[in-house]
Amino acid sequence: MSKEEIITRLAQSVIDGEPEDAVELAKQALDEGLDPLVCINQGLTAGINRVGELFASGEYFLPDLIIGGEAMKAALAVLEPALAGDQERQILGRVVLGTVRGDLHEIGKTLVGTMLTANGFLVTDIGIDKPAADFVSAAREANATLIGASALLTTTMPEQQKIVEELKEAGLRDQVRVMIGGAPITQGWADKIGADGYAEDAISAVALAKQLVGVPV
Amino acid sequence: MPSIKPIRPRFHLEVLSATQREAIKSATLRVLEQTGVKFPSERALRVFAEHGAWVDMATQIVRLPPDLVLEAMGRAPRSYVLTGRAEGTDLTLDGTCSYFGTDGCGTETLDFTTGERRPSCKEDVARMARVVDYLPSVAFYWPMVSAQDCGRLAPLHELDASFNSTAKHVQTETVMGARPAQYALRMGEVIAGDRERMRARPPFSVLICTIAPLGQDKEGIEAGMVYAEAGIPVGFMAMPNMGSTAPAVPGGALVVGNAEVVSALVLMQLVAPGAPVFHSILASVMNPRTAEYIVSTPEKYLCNAAAVHMAHDWGVPSLAGGFGVDAAEPASWQLGRDSVYSALMCTLAGTDMSVGLGMLGASTLLAPEQIIFDDEIYHTHRILAEGIDTSSDGLALDVIAKVGPRGHFLAQKHTRRHIQDLWIPELTHPRQPLDGTPMPGIQPRAKAKLDSILAEHQPQPLEEAAQAELRTILEAAAQELGS
Ligand code: B12
Repeated sequence: MSKEEIITRLAQSVIDGEPEDAVELAKQALDEGLDPLVCINQGLTAGINRVGELFASGEYFLPDLIIGGEAMKAALAVLEPALAGDQERQILGRVVLGTVRGDLHEIGKTLVGTMLTANGFLVTDIGIDKPAADFVSAAREANATLIGASALLTTTMPEQQKIVEELKEAGLRDQVRVMIGGAPITQGWADKIGADGYAEDAISAVALAKQLVGVPV
Repeated sequence: MPSIKPIRPRFHLEVLSATQREAIKSATLRVLEQTGVKFPSERALRVFAEHGAWVDMATQIVRLPPDLVLEAMGRAPRSYVLTGRAEGTDLTLDGTCSYFGTDGCGTETLDFTTGERRPSCKEDVARMARVVDYLPSVAFYWPMVSAQDCGRLAPLHELDASFNSTAKHVQTETVMGARPAQYALRMGEVIAGDRERMRARPPFSVLICTIAPLGQDKEGIEAGMVYAEAGIPVGFMAMPNMGSTAPAVPGGALVVGNAEVVSALVLMQLVAPGAPVFHSILASVMNPRTAEYIVSTPEKYLCNAAAVHMAHDWGVPSLAGGFGVDAAEPASWQLGRDSVYSALMCTLAGTDMSVGLGMLGASTLLAPEQIIFDDEIYHTHRILAEGIDTSSDGLALDVIAKVGPRGHFLAQKHTRRHIQDLWIPELTHPRQPLDGTPMPGIQPRAKAKLDSILAEHQPQPLEEAAQAELRTILEAAAQELGS
């Protein structure tokens, strides 16, 4: 297989949502001595961008988007360790995302994560039922500039406020922006607790995240 | 108070054949045996282990031998009574009729006076309880919105507002956790008299959600055990969402939902053999483009009706989700369509209980007058389900012979007697004002009816002493649990 062909097929494995193929192709690329950064940028990223277009135009459904993302992630796990010391994959920002303590609602949060990933963010999904402290420590560990907190219950909304407060206590408030969401959340609540933004759905969450990290929307 | 009018269907809808029902049941038993369900509660895991279930303490996954499931479910009663505190408010769940309740736990209210959207509060719970106390369509009350002005104790305040404002049976879907459950039980004792009378005549029941796929909520499951031991009827509702938290096929969604619910009901029977329990699956579909939660689709209607059969196959009462809670606006075409499929199908499938009156925006928005529209749809279903009278009076042979060809039936006593039984929808066919003033539109008429109920109907008050006791319990709860 020619080098161009490997890269085209890497992109295609993401478009088709075939994680096993993506991993195989990534290994093959390294065996053939291809530059991993080129594989990522021209193969995987090109593929996920195409997936994003197909989703936006209504041809793809959510599972296509999510499985495409899985394929990309699987191949990245092979390629990233092979990057040279001074090479870094281009990302828009690092995000720590989760659902707050006491709250087990998962779907909205996961969808926001998928859309952020598909749009070039590096997302650390810490899962559901997570106390404010976990968001803060994960943000510190991942060197994140953005925290996304989901709350679907009126009784768990106050935990979002705690995240803002604990970030302040940890001295990280200046480095980390906080965005919040979930069915009962409103802009009014975001203003009240001093969060940096609120988004109603996953599409506007991406726009919000871009705005918060200073990328043109 | 006008008496409750349950629906007594005279004909039934079977959406699954006997073979299909058997297939779902054995698939469920297989999932319970081989895949298992996660119970993140030490107490629950211990109980399961003691009774011979396969328990993995590290993953908290419990797998159940089919015999254990069948034996435990065999102890659950098929019929029992949910009680209210006024005469005529008892609901006997015995498979002969369907009782309806409101939808619950909304987060926003269209203000009763200004119509503006705002966060919900305790007073909304109380007001809607008064409306429900009046409406014969509503047999039991789910506190319709969250008492967001009551902080952490909101769930107990929702119960307080409900007990104070309606004599009908109350079902909570928010008082979770073993400690809060103890306070709910004390409130129930105040209404029932004491613990033993509460067991015999439970003034409230509880609905707990399972966590799709194949999981349980620690707070829910631990509260459930406390309630079951006290004889308070406990139901579990699975909410499999086709495409996200469940397979994207109705059959698979039913199997997952059934396994979640039955695993929890088995636990209830292990801690309190013979405890009154009920079964509920409220399926939905994921919008494949946005993940939006959709309840108004044919696959979900089918699942809801099928779930009723499944509950009855396990020998327990069912609670089904009815009404068109998806719509964004009251009195819309969408609401009418959705209510008919969802409520009518599960009624004809023979559900013991159903909920859903009065809410919009996928169960998040309380539009107060919506319940008046839903009430009218309910009565249409009620009359429809009662079927056709084919007795000799019902066939009217005598009067047909008497009038003969051409003539009319207007002057017949038979007509005079029976025309009152024909149910005419009041909202679409209101009485014209006699003074010639123009008739207001349908929405203002619904609002006017709501306002007149609120102005005129006085629910049977809770005795002063009981009110005070409830307040004391809330204070004690605030002390222990924080407000
Ligand atoms: C599905 C569901 C469940 C499922 C969740 C399954 C799962 N694995 O996730 C189950 C059945 C487990 C469940 C359980 C409960 N639920 Co529930 N649930 C829902 C329901 C119907 C839909 C939620 C959903 O998935 N929507 C689809 C997704 C895609 O939308 P979304 O979550 O809103 O997310 C979007 C946006 O909000 C935004 N967003 C979300 N997160 C974030 C984060 C950021 C950073 C940003 C920017 C944006 C953003 O973008 C997302 C994508 O567009 C809602 C009602 C509703 N219409 O919202 C009730 C609802 C939230 N639940 C409710 C309740 C009461 C409960 C229970 C307490 C019920 C009980 N008695 O046990 C339990 C609580 C369990 C717990 N401790 O968390 C109430 C809450 C009411 C209140 N006053 O707070 C609601 C409103 C329904 C109701 N009226 O009763 N629930």
